[in-house]
Amino acid sequence: MVRAVKGSLVTWVEGGLTDRSDPSIKAIILDLDSRSHDFVVEDLDDSHLIIKDTKVPELKRLLEERLNEHTKVDTLEEEEEEEDD
Amino acid sequence: MAATAQSMRGFEHLEGLPEAVFKRLYQQPATALAIFRRMLPNLGKTFVMAMLFNPDPIPISSLEAWVHPNKNSLKEEAFAKLRQLHLVTERQGTFALDPTFKVELKKALTGGGPPGCFGLPCDTDDKKKVDVSFLDKYATEQWESILHFMVGNEVPSSRRPSEGVVRLLLHGKLMEKARSSQETIITQLGFSFLLQEVNSQVWTLLLLYLDMAEQLRMDPVDILHFLFLLGSLELGQDYDMKSLTPTQKGMLEDLRDYGIVYQRKSSSRRFYPTRLATALTSEVRALSSPATTMRNAISQSDENGFLIVETNYRMYAYTNSPLQIAVLNLFARLISRFPNLVTARITRESIRLAINKGITAEQIIDYMTANAHPQLRKNTPILPPTVVDQIRLWQIEGERMKATHGYLFKEFTSNSEFNAVCKYANDIGVLVWADKPKMMLFVSKHEQIADYIRKRVQSNK
Repeated sequence: MVRAVKGSLVTWVEGGLTDRSDPSIKAIILDLDSRSHDFVVEDLDDSHLIIKDTKVPELKRLLEERLNEHTKVDTLEEEEEEEDD
Repeated sequence: MAATAQSMRGFEHLEGLPEAVFKRLYQQPATALAIFRRMLPNLGKTFVMAMLFNPDPIPISSLEAWVHPNKNSLKEEAFAKLRQLHLVTERQGTFALDPTFKVELKKALTGGGPPGCFGLPCDTDDKKKVDVSFLDKYATEQWESILHFMVGNEVPSSRRPSEGVVRLLLHGKLMEKARSSQETIITQLGFSFLLQEVNSQVWTLLLLYLDMAEQLRMDPVDILHFLFLLGSLELGQDYDMKSLTPTQKGMLEDLRDYGIVYQRKSSSRRFYPTRLATALTSEVRALSSPATTMRNAISQSDENGFLIVETNYRMYAYTNSPLQIAVLNLFARLISRFPNLVTARITRESIRLAINKGITAEQIIDYMTANAHPQLRKNTPILPPTVVDQIRLWQIEGERMKATHGYLFKEFTSNSEFNAVCKYANDIGVLVWADKPKMMLFVSKHEQIADYIRKRVQSNK
């Protein structure tokens, strides 16, 4: 019998701004999940997970935090413009 | 267009109503017409028209014959809508229109129906008759005072929104009570509400009203009848309260607070719909035009288009309206303010902050386009492409993770069943992801899929 599960399908863009040697985003999500955050409903494949609907914003925030540890934002440009304001 | 999507979401809310509610909704010609106009795709309208004056049920195959085989998805979409709205009953491969809907839509199209079913115009002249420009001004003032209140601007106590409005905003989580003080402050949801176009804002509030009214044991059918009726009234005409039900008379008071109707005093027996009301059920495709008329009508000529955006991310806003300045402050860094001019700069920081508040890049771009200064409008495209692209990029940068709400279907019993469901989901445009070997698929909406699976199971028995 077919079953339906409610949730959010989550995908992501690997690499880009992060270094190749960084852990994959899926690894980060699973790591966050294992710390009793209880996000993941179903692990589909390397680039798709089902996440509890209510947990999506929290996961987004935590993931962003984790990724920004690795990415240094170039603020030089904005500082420069600050002077001529 | 983001704004259209917003208001469409409002209508999806209506699609979830139980069948019994729909059956009762169809008892009014104004509602039947509004649903026909606003909730059906064009092909769906064609099908309804084919069935409307035909006394016998029509074989589904003859309806299908009208559709080019390549446009299967359009056909499925139309059929699904008809079923979802309980407009048709299906028997042995034929479709028949819901009898009540059939009668009422005929009345709406060819005339007939009881007097007052499209509003009862007053038979006596109003001694203090008001004109369209007065109504526009009134609607703007009322509506803007709600928006001003939301962004926390000082409003004169006479123009402070009523208790009812505040309760509604709290109920819809557009605002919340601050923990420390008793003040109400705007929420993230409220911010993205501010950037919607007026028509979608009105629908958002009205649907919240509907939601709250059900808790107060008001009859939702009565309320919806009235909202759809309002959409068919004529601007500038005064109408008699006589034909309204007690619930609807009670509603008038609330709608007056929002600026959707005008009454000189609450004891008055006549009311005027404003432009906010008459634009309610305009056709989806024409949606932007009533909103634009509204915007043109409500903004005085000097406010109409006040934003200049330059390629160096600087913004000049010719305005002294606290509301507009507050909205700008949502996504730009304000630099200096002059009596009639505010200068600001769009930065990565300011856009990131806005996005964290739940505002999307598209909403920001739409807002800037809609309010572009006439001088800027001479350019095509209106906004500098570099700025627009960069705003989108800033959004993507923070969105390496993409989430879609929906449902995962799994544990299909056979490959053929999985393939059929997969194809159907794709045809009606809800398929997001599928994995053939694992026989799992993810869809953004589940009702039609569940229906489809049920029908397949039944027909296989």
